[in-house]
Amino acid sequence: MASLTQTKKSALPISFFPYLALALLAVGLSIYRLVVGLGPTTNMSDHYPWGIWITIDLFLIPVAGAAFTISLISFFFGYEDYRTVLRPAVVAGFLGYSVVGILLFLDIGRWPQFYNILDLGIINPHSFLEEISLCVTLYVVILTLEVLPILFEHSKFEKYVKWIETGIYFVAGAGILLSTLHQSSLGSMFLLMRHKLHPLWYTPALPLLFFLQAGYTGLGTTVIAITLVWRSKSLPTNRLLIRRIGQAMGINLLLYASIRIGDWMGAGEIPMLLKPNAFGWIAWLEFGLGILVPLAILFSKLVRHSQGPLWASVFALMGTFINRLMITWVGLSEPSPVTYFPSWIEIMITIGLIAGGALVYERINYYFRLLPEKHEKHQ
Amino acid sequence: MTISRRDFLKVAGITAGSTLLPNLVVHAASTGNPDEYVAMLYDATICVGCNACTNACRQWNKTTPVKDDRALYDAPSELSADTWTMIQLYQGEGEYSFVKRQCMHCVDPACVSGCPVHALQKTAEGPVTYDAKRCIGCRYCMYACPFHIPRFEWDEVIPVVTKCTFCYSRIKAGDGPACAERCPTGALIWGKRGDLVAEAEGRIDAEPHRYVDYIYGKEDAGGTSVLYLSAVPFGKVGLENIGAEPVPALSEGTANVVLPGILVGGPIVLGLIRWISKRGGWEESWPV
Repeated sequence: MASLTQTKKSALPISFFPYLALALLAVGLSIYRLVVGLGPTTNMSDHYPWGIWITIDLFLIPVAGAAFTISLISFFFGYEDYRTVLRPAVVAGFLGYSVVGILLFLDIGRWPQFYNILDLGIINPHSFLEEISLCVTLYVVILTLEVLPILFEHSKFEKYVKWIETGIYFVAGAGILLSTLHQSSLGSMFLLMRHKLHPLWYTPALPLLFFLQAGYTGLGTTVIAITLVWRSKSLPTNRLLIRRIGQAMGINLLLYASIRIGDWMGAGEIPMLLKPNAFGWIAWLEFGLGILVPLAILFSKLVRHSQGPLWASVFALMGTFINRLMITWVGLSEPSPVTYFPSWIEIMITIGLIAGGALVYERINYYFRLLPEKHEKHQ
Repeated sequence: MTISRRDFLKVAGITAGSTLLPNLVVHAASTGNPDEYVAMLYDATICVGCNACTNACRQWNKTTPVKDDRALYDAPSELSADTWTMIQLYQGEGEYSFVKRQCMHCVDPACVSGCPVHALQKTAEGPVTYDAKRCIGCRYCMYACPFHIPRFEWDEVIPVVTKCTFCYSRIKAGDGPACAERCPTGALIWGKRGDLVAEAEGRIDAEPHRYVDYIYGKEDAGGTSVLYLSAVPFGKVGLENIGAEPVPALSEGTANVVLPGILVGGPIVLGLIRWISKRGGWEESWPV
């Protein structure tokens, strides 16, 4: 009986017109940036060649890792019940990467020849940035393949995308490999910057840390997204599933925490934390809020509470944001008195694009089926 | 702790790399013999700070002078998209020194290693050159460079990355770099890197009281093609001690191991996970 028309009106906390207005403003400002250049529109300079857009990119990529972690657990680890949340996670991943793609395009100075990164005749196989570019491009193709069956369901185009579901293990497997590559490579990118990145954040283990962080951040995004989708359909929270996602997060967090602490100890950086300056306090904030609080929730009875994993996810995402903020901006500064704070255009483009992504998510949740039919029939 | 984490990672990486994929361990910038590279030697004890080099650079590369407050004099205070080389003054207690700034033309340049599209290249003659037709303007080179050299034309709609190119077209024609050929005092000379290292060593040996007993660039960052002699410690004139390891070593070592490792090992691991899960093997061993 759960036909599309009977689906309850979406109640995601997103109101149409304000979000649309923000998104349209971002489109206008983006065109303006492309026409007049980076100088007049951003506050980036020779001392801060990267700004808030890179920070947001490096935060959104692990957030959009939702699709990758849930695919891994449901398709390969064989936990079939995770498939309930596969669609919300895949759509979140697709939109997250779309926002990242647009931001990167706006960020590169010589955008009319952006396609050079895909020219196999000239690319540099030793560059982690090149590897990220290729992997993210291919991964967006994979995510598109995973999203199409959702959009074409019960339409006349459905038969054209049947092959995707037939070969889903190869599609999902390719997505997992590409994600493993570029999520870790985002960290590897900073291996060239050991002279510039603050020692509390620089470590040769960055690729591994970024990979694990993408794991728990993606799972956290899934918990938040699925909770919102359930609420929008007035469905009860599936506590068991949420708890199990939370426990998978917990394992990731534990591994991440031990490597991070081990690295601080091995590099003799513990004194920086015991007698903290501003950077030391931020490291405490990041570690306490983003790692210890979620761990305390996930490894205690709180994990059984329906809100437990949700709050652990919110805190973990905050920690990931602080981490990426430090690595791309605050902890990565050229020696100069010049400081950087994003211009209003940089900020409005960022907010507008994310608002646009959220709005599209809300509309997809409204018009298409993100949850299994079985679940809806119970209502 | 005697074994640093870097050493550990290096050993682990080399072990894995040499066992699994010996043929893939190649080096990005292994071109030419560093002793034969064209190089410059800047002797800060001779330099009088006349900025003739700055001016010669402007004339040859057609850059715009950066005027001082009263617009009377070309007075850049730091490198910029318009200033590819310049002389800076260090003043301490009872001592001062000039120092020339420009691209160091590393033997193993981090910018070249990081550039996704080979817009920056290490030429066989030694200079690190830039090709705007390839560059996408990502600015990774600016962060990768340990000497803070590459600059960006922020005010252009379609900007280019700028830095000293060692006057590569002049080198190809058999001439020297414009700055070194203009220098009136002999503070800046050019020649083969091997010869200039020997020259610098000879100067320190001949007048040990005149110099700090160190040739900056001989070993630093794996060696650079711009070499420095100074009477004041190099840290004071902005030439930091960044170690002798080439900056790209860790990044490229990781790339050589991790990328093929994931591409080859990934499908195997995924297949294995799938196989075990099909046999229903996780429930006992997997705590979630």
